[in-house]
Amino acid sequence: MSPEQEAFLAKKKEKAAARRAKPEEKGELGMTSLMDIVSILVVYLLKSYASDPIVINPTAGQKIPMSSADAPVQDGVPIFVTTRGITFDNKKIVTMTPDGDIDPSQVQNHLIGPLYDQLAEEVDKAKQLAERTNKPWNARVILVGDQDLKFSVLVDVMYTTGRAEFAEYSFCVIRKS
Amino acid sequence: MPRKKMEEEDIQANLLPVMNIMFLLIPALLMAMEFASMASINVSPPKFAAAAQQKDEEQKKDEKPLNLKVFVMEDGFRVSADGQQEGAEAGKSQDSKAPTIGLAKQGAPLNDYERYDYAQLEAKAKGYKQLFPNEAVVTISAEANIPMQSIIMTMDALAGRTCKIAKALKGEQLPDDCYFWQPIVEGGAG
Repeated sequence: MSPEQEAFLAKKKEKAAARRAKPEEKGELGMTSLMDIVSILVVYLLKSYASDPIVINPTAGQKIPMSSADAPVQDGVPIFVTTRGITFDNKKIVTMTPDGDIDPSQVQNHLIGPLYDQLAEEVDKAKQLAERTNKPWNARVILVGDQDLKFSVLVDVMYTTGRAEFAEYSFCVIRKS
Repeated sequence: MPRKKMEEEDIQANLLPVMNIMFLLIPALLMAMEFASMASINVSPPKFAAAAQQKDEEQKKDEKPLNLKVFVMEDGFRVSADGQQEGAEAGKSQDSKAPTIGLAKQGAPLNDYERYDYAQLEAKAKGYKQLFPNEAVVTISAEANIPMQSIIMTMDALAGRTCKIAKALKGEQLPDDCYFWQPIVEGGAG
């Protein structure tokens, strides 16, 4: 080994020893930007929930009709009616035919049996709660429909909700910008 | 001669600036997102609306009721007031053959929601409103297979497409560009 090589190796060893002796540096996360984010998110979410007390989550594939109406959605019982079925309380209770009509076995003289049963149960609960809290029962139903929903289906749903003692109806729409 | 062992050095990428940018990007994107804002159209079934109308009639004894009805058909709108269809043959109250307002797009399929002449319907509603300024109720019915979007657009046209009633519902005065904004949905009425 030549003296240059020996000197080079000695220097390398020295450097490695110095590196080992050096204390480990601790990485620190910048918390300021994280705090900025969290504050912005909190304000944004608070604002969204304050302006829209009722949150309507459409079912998969549902195309809510568009309208120029600007009246806010009032408190009520939502019923999701699409060309594939009727969903109430997160359960699909009525199925449709491929043509978009209600399954004939589930409707009789415009009365949709499974929907009526569910609504009647809901009405009983709501009435009992209203009695206990001494507040009037809000007999409003929010119909969250679909752009392609047939008028005949809409009428059947309205008739059924009417039979279940709901007296006020709101059609949920997406406000045109 | 033994091979030289390469000493591996651990290289750590400094992720802090990237994380800072990412965290700032999240709210920026959230703010840029477009959320669908929901609204509602309050409709009444026939029997409740009839009761409301009786009450109105007591209040406005001098005024003859309009009883505006709009029937949405596959080939247009049939408009009638006080039981008399506009454009019906002489001596007939209704003419099931011809609509009062034809289609804006002849031959368009039912799922083309712009097939109806909403502008003409709105103009007609404006005309009726000038004659009956205290009326706000309209009865809407349709053929079985008319899609809901067409019904909603009919309601918009009858209410006035620039009509904003949110403030009026809170007690402010109703804007002048609101015509028939209280729809009654009636099934199977022709």
